Amino acid sequence: MKAFTALAAAELRLLARDPASLFFMVAFPLMLLVLKRGDGGAVPGYLAMIAAIGGMGALPGLLASYRERKVLKRLAATPISPVLLLGAQLVAQVAAGLAGSALLVVVTIAVFGARPPGNVVLLAAAFLLCSVMVCALGFVIAAVVRNTRGASLIGMLVMFPMIFLSGAAVPRKALPGSLRQIGDFLPLTPAVEALGDAWSGTVAVFPLLILAGIIVAATAAGAALFRWE
Amino acid sequence: MEAIEVTDLRKSYGDTVAVDGVTFTVRAGETFGIVGHNGAGKTTTVECLTGLRRADAGSVRVLGEDPARRRRALAQRLGVQLQDGSLPERIKVAEALRMFGAFYRDPADWRRVMERWGLGPLARKAYGDLSGGQRQRLMLALALVGDPEVVVLDELTTGLDPIARRDTWRLVGDLKTAGTTVVLVSHYFDEIEALCDRVAVLARGRVAATGTTGELVARTGTASLEEAYLALEGTDR
Repeated sequence: MKAFTALAAAELRLLARDPASLFFMVAFPLMLLVLKRGDGGAVPGYLAMIAAIGGMGALPGLLASYRERKVLKRLAATPISPVLLLGAQLVAQVAAGLAGSALLVVVTIAVFGARPPGNVVLLAAAFLLCSVMVCALGFVIAAVVRNTRGASLIGMLVMFPMIFLSGAAVPRKALPGSLRQIGDFLPLTPAVEALGDAWSGTVAVFPLLILAGIIVAATAAGAALFRWE
Repeated sequence: MEAIEVTDLRKSYGDTVAVDGVTFTVRAGETFGIVGHNGAGKTTTVECLTGLRRADAGSVRVLGEDPARRRRALAQRLGVQLQDGSLPERIKVAEALRMFGAFYRDPADWRRVMERWGLGPLARKAYGDLSGGQRQRLMLALALVGDPEVVVLDELTTGLDPIARRDTWRLVGDLKTAGTTVVLVSHYFDEIEALCDRVAVLARGRVAATGTTGELVARTGTASLEEAYLALEGTDR
């Protein structure tokens, strides 16, 4: 536990020192909110976007760079297990996303006077599942694509279409029919749904179950494919 | 008691044979040197000792454990300085030492390790801003922060200036006094002569000879370890 806490705290500190992570997980969603004139209806999607930017936009490149620069090799010579390492990365990403999300929600309510979320507990649960899910996908990308540039690129190539087609960045209602159908098969779509339900106060369990299923499958794949070098 | 027993270790990468039947033992509390030319199999041997690589054949026992099967349990008692390990660019010296300390059940006081290795003034400096020699010293300190029984140091003083080198020698001498078993991999003969009780000479993936510096010099009829090494290297060719 001591090792896990130390590793997760160090990773979170490193994230907080990274200008790109700070911008995309904190400042960028706030800018979008301003462009939307503080429309509370857009916020659940932005929460999913914050998580996706961290888990798929940043995490694969970060892990691949650790592997390429032999940071993982050095850690492999300590008593740390791969599960502990990936778990600490996950906790750091989730915590950073949670901080960015909390700020966004508070600004939406306090500055723009939007109605508070209908079910805060459910919203937090949906965000956690969403965040863990995108990180699990990020681990799979980092395990399959071994070099830093490739992993960053694939992460971006997966993340960008996903945030647009899943309803995270723009409402799916605004999309042409065929593109909307693609969105039905993307793992971020149930996350946006779950966050939207919680925001409006609707209790829906199905999207959460789908997220849990994706987490289990992706984590198993990511752990099986993981290599220190 | 033997701290390390390596028997007929073999490892190839594709068609390249890196280690071709290496055998040696290191006694508990001993400082043991491994010398050899580039590509002689030194680093592969080290990586098999630490469980980072699995041998193709032969057996490796460190403190009675098989590193390939019991990597994490063994890592509690084994400190390593790798030739090519690194840290995240933005992690600070003190943070790295504190974090690595937290990985071990019964670590040394990381602040004391930091001071002893002269890293105190660099505590708040990021890894990416350190010079080569400073990084080397940090990696050495990280190898010791877990208070290990056995330490493996690969290319101990590469990148250090002459003063830092002598300081490092003194600190490795302290380890020996404290009863720590040290494996020193190097191609600096002065270093091996100054620090090691016994030496294994590796040539083309095999052990050409093992013994004290005096024994190797006497056996080859030469005047120094370097000359003895060159003679042994030649006979094996």
